[in-house]
Amino acid sequence: MAAKDSPLKQFEIDPISNIELGGYNISFTNSSFAMLITVLVITLFLTFTVNTRSIIPSRMQLISELMYNFIAQLLSDTVGDNGKRYFPFVFSLFMFVLIGNMVGMIPYQFTFTSHIIVTFALAAVVFIGVTILGFINHGIKFFTFFYIPGVPFYMHPLLIPIEVISYLSRPISLSVRLFANMLAGHTLLKVFAGFVVSMPFFTGVFPLAFIVALTGLEILIAFLQAYVFAILTCLYINDAYHLH
Amino acid sequence: MPQLNPEFFVSQLFWLAVFFTFLFVFLWRVSLPRIATVLEKRQNKIDENLSSAKELQEQAMEIEKKINDQINKAKLETDEKIKETINALQENVSSQLSSLDKDLEKKVSDAEKEILKSKDDQMKNINNEIVNITKLTVGKITDIELSDNELNKVIETHKGNFN
Repeated sequence: MAAKDSPLKQFEIDPISNIELGGYNISFTNSSFAMLITVLVITLFLTFTVNTRSIIPSRMQLISELMYNFIAQLLSDTVGDNGKRYFPFVFSLFMFVLIGNMVGMIPYQFTFTSHIIVTFALAAVVFIGVTILGFINHGIKFFTFFYIPGVPFYMHPLLIPIEVISYLSRPISLSVRLFANMLAGHTLLKVFAGFVVSMPFFTGVFPLAFIVALTGLEILIAFLQAYVFAILTCLYINDAYHLH
Repeated sequence: MPQLNPEFFVSQLFWLAVFFTFLFVFLWRVSLPRIATVLEKRQNKIDENLSSAKELQEQAMEIEKKINDQINKAKLETDEKIKETINALQENVSSQLSSLDKDLEKKVSDAEKEILKSKDDQMKNINNEIVNITKLTVGKITDIELSDNELNKVIETHKGNFN
């Protein structure tokens, strides 16, 4: 499948330097490089724009503050006062996914969020964290989360397994949503880019115009998916506090 | 599909863990407190300005109240002064009017008296004239010489007829 012109070739991982640790291959790859760029962009931007700590913000400082307030608002709207202590985590998650997606929009740059293993790892951290949080807050009572009150008793044998399955599928849905969006968008861009080259004469202009429009849409999706990832994390945290 | 190739799974997970942990700790410990400080500082400044604005407004309202009080007080005082002056003037006018009235009355009564007196005098003169004319007429027509007393008696008796 990974032929020379395959639209999936862009997702291939190329090691930049081969590293091995304890028998495991932990090579620094183009994916790791994209993560490094992402982390550098976020940390440097958030550090240097707020460096002056001025009361009247510069435009760049305002961007940082807007991001801060955006996530803070999201958390307080969904979780309430309990959510404040998870703010650094949700903010990191949002920024990591958002800038990772945006870095992926740069031509020839690798998109690490288009790898299921990465998104699944992030979703698994959220899932495991939220489950532990639920047990810390409610102890064994957390299992009543699967019991829906106000439903006829004979429905419970059906509903409880459904609730359990839906709970367990959270990390899968969370990770696949992001992964699939990124995969589909970048594949589509690549396919149309192939058309630009292969179509005769000036007709290649049409797929090119489509790519331009699609790039705008992809940037929107890049933001939207980061937002969805963050808001679902907030909702899961809220569930760990408030059972049915 | 390169995503399902497990060759680099461990590498991906390792570097994800490294970078995400670094990002999380850095944001948690460095970047977010900075932004929070700025936002807090701004909020404090805004609160401070708002409270001082409120204070100033209260002061302004107090001053306005004082001004209004003083204006009212001044108005009342002026009203009283005006009333007093009007009363004083009225008293003055009425006293002067009454004194003028008295003067006038006195003058009128004096004049009346004088008129009466001159009337009497005139009447006396008229009597004398009548006596003289009668004496003269009677003397010319007849040769009877009438004494003044007789004539006076006659005139007295007929006074009502030609008065």
